[in-house]
Amino acid sequence: MLKPGDPAPPFDLECALDGRTARCSLAKIPSELVLIFFYPRDFSFICPTEVIGFNKALKEFAAEETTIVGVSIDNVDSHLRWARELGGIAYPMLADPEGSLARAYGIFDENEKVALRATFILDRRRKVAYSSSCPLNIGRSVIETLRIVRALRTGQLCPADWTPGVEFGPTGRDF
Amino acid sequence: MATVDPAEKRRLFERLSSIREIVFGVQDGVLTTAGVLCGLSGAVSQHSQVALAALASTAAGALSMGAGAYLGARAEAEVLRAELHLVRADAAEKPYTVQEGLLDELCKEGLSREAAFRVVRLLSTAPRALESTAEAKMFGLGGAVLGKPALDGVVMGIAFLVGAVVPLLPYMLITAQRYDLGAALLATAFTLFGVGYFEGWLAHRSDRWRSGIRFLTIALIAAAAGYAIGLAISPLGATAG
Repeated sequence: MLKPGDPAPPFDLECALDGRTARCSLAKIPSELVLIFFYPRDFSFICPTEVIGFNKALKEFAAEETTIVGVSIDNVDSHLRWARELGGIAYPMLADPEGSLARAYGIFDENEKVALRATFILDRRRKVAYSSSCPLNIGRSVIETLRIVRALRTGQLCPADWTPGVEFGPTGRDF
Repeated sequence: MATVDPAEKRRLFERLSSIREIVFGVQDGVLTTAGVLCGLSGAVSQHSQVALAALASTAAGALSMGAGAYLGARAEAEVLRAELHLVRADAAEKPYTVQEGLLDELCKEGLSREAAFRVVRLLSTAPRALESTAEAKMFGLGGAVLGKPALDGVVMGIAFLVGAVVPLLPYMLITAQRYDLGAALLATAFTLFGVGYFEGWLAHRSDRWRSGIRFLTIALIAAAAGYAIGLAISPLGATAG
């Protein structure tokens, strides 16, 4: 699994976006940060809570100059139907049917043949600024991910459970 | 169009669930008693002693088989109940694991992931339906699997008795030493063939006679082996006497 500081593998994949098929290329994403969240499968019972959760928080992430990208091994048709089932998803849902992108990020579960629940936040230079993964049966916290994004954007030393408004750590340290 | 009453079908399945005890009990009763008769006939010369020993063996066998079936079914039911309890507690705490598990099972059985998702989502609106479907599909557990230990024990004991009477009755009725064992074995052979045929009939098989022949073959082998062992140990009885 890629760790902070690693260069992010580029991608240019088909995706479902706003109810239609499109292409999504990392090189063409202009925002300061890119949040890539991998999830195991469409049409499951934990993934939708995350997919909808990130969709609901889309504006807050956009306010933090962050583009959200979802990825699973399902194809675009499945993503389109899944997004329709969920009431519409306004960020690109990338199709990675071979799992090649998941493998490039080091989070492909070879036993289950799906991507782990892994989150990567890429910085302006498209290097990994943050990465995490959790078991297939546990959903991620959208609020926590947003907190990380906000913390990363401060460029400061953020203590545990830092949230906007809380004092930063000592300055002038190389971290 | 012919319709099947699910309640009636369910009752039929419940009755059929005793077929294992019936077939096992009858077969064991017939074979054990025929084996005892063959073995003792080889070792003991007096007809009445052989019949008495076979009667004692029948009583002990029926009680033992009944108790064994009861204890076995009870132990199985207790273990399954404990497992079901764990599964239900886990499902109550983490319903999504049940939903995901059931979804996977339905996909394995041929439903598309999308269709399986819709089925599971629909089932999730009635927690009891989701629970029972998940138990059956994911773990192969259901109410019928838990069985009825007391009934199993009684059925097994009676089946053994019925089976044992088959060779015993002609043996006791025909006192002529030349024909007693032959009559017992003939009755045994017919009964075993009949049990096999009956099992084939229940299973709606076209080659019911094949099941009968299988049962009969086993009986012949068991009887021959019992007789041979009786002959082999008869010198020991002579030495001890």
